[in-house]
Amino acid sequence: MRKGMINSRETILRFINHTIEEVDDLRSLVVHFKEKDVIFRQGEKLPYLFLLLKGNVILNRKRDDGSSLDILNLEPGHFLGLIALTTGNPSLTTAIAQEDVRALQIRQTEFETYLADHPRLRHPIQQLIMSNLSHRFMNNVKLESEMHSLNEKLEEEGKQLKEAYSKLEDSHQKLVHQEKMATLGELVSGFAHEVNNPAAALLRSAESLIRNFRNLPDNDPTALIFNFGLTSDPLSSNQVRKRMLVVQKEFPWIAERSQVRKLAQMPDEAYQIIHKARKKIPVEQLIQQYEAGKFIHNIQAASTRIANLVKSLKSYSRQDKNEAELIDVRDGIKDTILVLSNRLKYLDLKLELNEIPLTCGKLGELNQVWTNILVNACDVLPDGGRLKIRTKVEGEFKIIVEISDNGPGIPVEIIDRIFEPNFTTKNQGAKFGLGLGLAISNEIIRQHGGFIKASNKKEGGAKFQILLPVKEC
Amino acid sequence: MDHQIYILVVEDELEVMDALVNDLEEYEETFPVETANTSEEAKNVIENIYNSGNEIGLILCDHVLPGQNGVDLLIELQKEPTTKISKKVLVTGQAGLEDTVLAINKADLDHYIAKPWTKEDLNSVVMNQLTEFVIQQKYNPLEFMTILDSVKLSEALRDNRPTDH
Repeated sequence: MRKGMINSRETILRFINHTIEEVDDLRSLVVHFKEKDVIFRQGEKLPYLFLLLKGNVILNRKRDDGSSLDILNLEPGHFLGLIALTTGNPSLTTAIAQEDVRALQIRQTEFETYLADHPRLRHPIQQLIMSNLSHRFMNNVKLESEMHSLNEKLEEEGKQLKEAYSKLEDSHQKLVHQEKMATLGELVSGFAHEVNNPAAALLRSAESLIRNFRNLPDNDPTALIFNFGLTSDPLSSNQVRKRMLVVQKEFPWIAERSQVRKLAQMPDEAYQIIHKARKKIPVEQLIQQYEAGKFIHNIQAASTRIANLVKSLKSYSRQDKNEAELIDVRDGIKDTILVLSNRLKYLDLKLELNEIPLTCGKLGELNQVWTNILVNACDVLPDGGRLKIRTKVEGEFKIIVEISDNGPGIPVEIIDRIFEPNFTTKNQGAKFGLGLGLAISNEIIRQHGGFIKASNKKEGGAKFQILLPVKEC
Repeated sequence: MDHQIYILVVEDELEVMDALVNDLEEYEETFPVETANTSEEAKNVIENIYNSGNEIGLILCDHVLPGQNGVDLLIELQKEPTTKISKKVLVTGQAGLEDTVLAINKADLDHYIAKPWTKEDLNSVVMNQLTEFVIQQKYNPLEFMTILDSVKLSEALRDNRPTDH
């Protein structure tokens, strides 16, 4: 089909060339262009129609972004300015001669007249126009289908890019998380070392102080009162207020409120000793003995708390051991609770840590799981909210950890998505910088060969169930 | 002295409370100390103090408390005509910037003491705040010369003749 058309175009051309040689006023219409000559420019009104007799011409279109594109290569037998002729609009392209070009230049307004004056040309010219239009139409169809497949390809690539990006984002988050944990671990081990020393010094000094103060016979009233201070736990403000009334009856001659308050903290047995001894030893001195004991006791309690916190913080982050080992999952749960004690302090926490077998795992990583779930619970529970942690064995090979609360539960519309990466209901960064979310918890449990499940209890509140296999290392 | 100006300490950790109260000992003969472990208890104590015809000159308050936190308590007390004039000091290791800003703007916080505190710091804050309180409330400065800031009290004595109290 295409071949036949070219042949017929060549035949027609030969005929037209022949006619031009014979007819004078046609010959006067022939124009010549040299290589790179611009025949007309994009955007110009076109007064002429050109019929290409010899040489190739390229139609080039300048685009909005300044780049230009070759649209069409025209050969002898093709028309230039055909669209401008039919629409009357300025030219859409710039025509550039590719070599020596010979063309018939016909004034558009006179086109019809020429055809009428030269009836011999009418038929071949019409044929050429038809052939030109069908050539351009076929070109269009080809372009259209090329564009379509290009679009499809682009879309496909866009999709792949999006997937790659989300994967990248995911691994970036995980890397950031690992980095955070590593930094935390380093900080903690440095911190633990630095704090352990002064904590130990405090504990040792308190013990030395006790020995110094006790350097008296056991039945000496001062020593007895000192011991009371050392062993009695501090009272709440309410208890102190009540005891102060007792003291006012017991020791009506003591007027100073600060002395009354100090006496109020002592147990009744201490009053008996004070009554018996007060002829020989002034009450103020005995109160001082009690205060000394009490403050040493406070030093001991506080420094023991520091030491325990540091210990749990150290084993909690487990920076030193990032390898799987035989572990008791409950140790990690206990450490996590201590580390989070500040947040758990006003919750009603029930522990039911039943005997479970040792299993192979990474304590530090599992601690992140407990932290994530517990911190989430703290965020939604009011003061006094109930939180329960239970461990049990199912069959011989399954450890189950259950963490449940009596909070508002997990909204049904998100319960399926809470383990997805990047899913969060919080708009702020998570506290501790650890709560990167349940997605990481899910990943950690999966790597341990277990799985994690979230549900809402019938009676209200959320329940997380973590299943871990019992295995050897 | 029939009418008494109290110092109220609100702190939930008993050992910390012990230490705070112990550091306030020298003020106690002039300014009796009352204590509360929670915001609720604090409000009861305050009510009792005002019911027996006394008032509160200074409130030292921890931020992290069970139930209502310290900043919210101070904001609430700022709205009460009785405790509006009391000096308010936050003693805490844990109030973040936001809470502190809230306390300054809404509770007219007078001072912030970071834990761990030193006895000197605590005493100077308590002395300054109580001095300001007795001057602002136009108590007779002579009654407090020995225990509070005598320089400021003398200035106040020169500037204003005391009214009856």
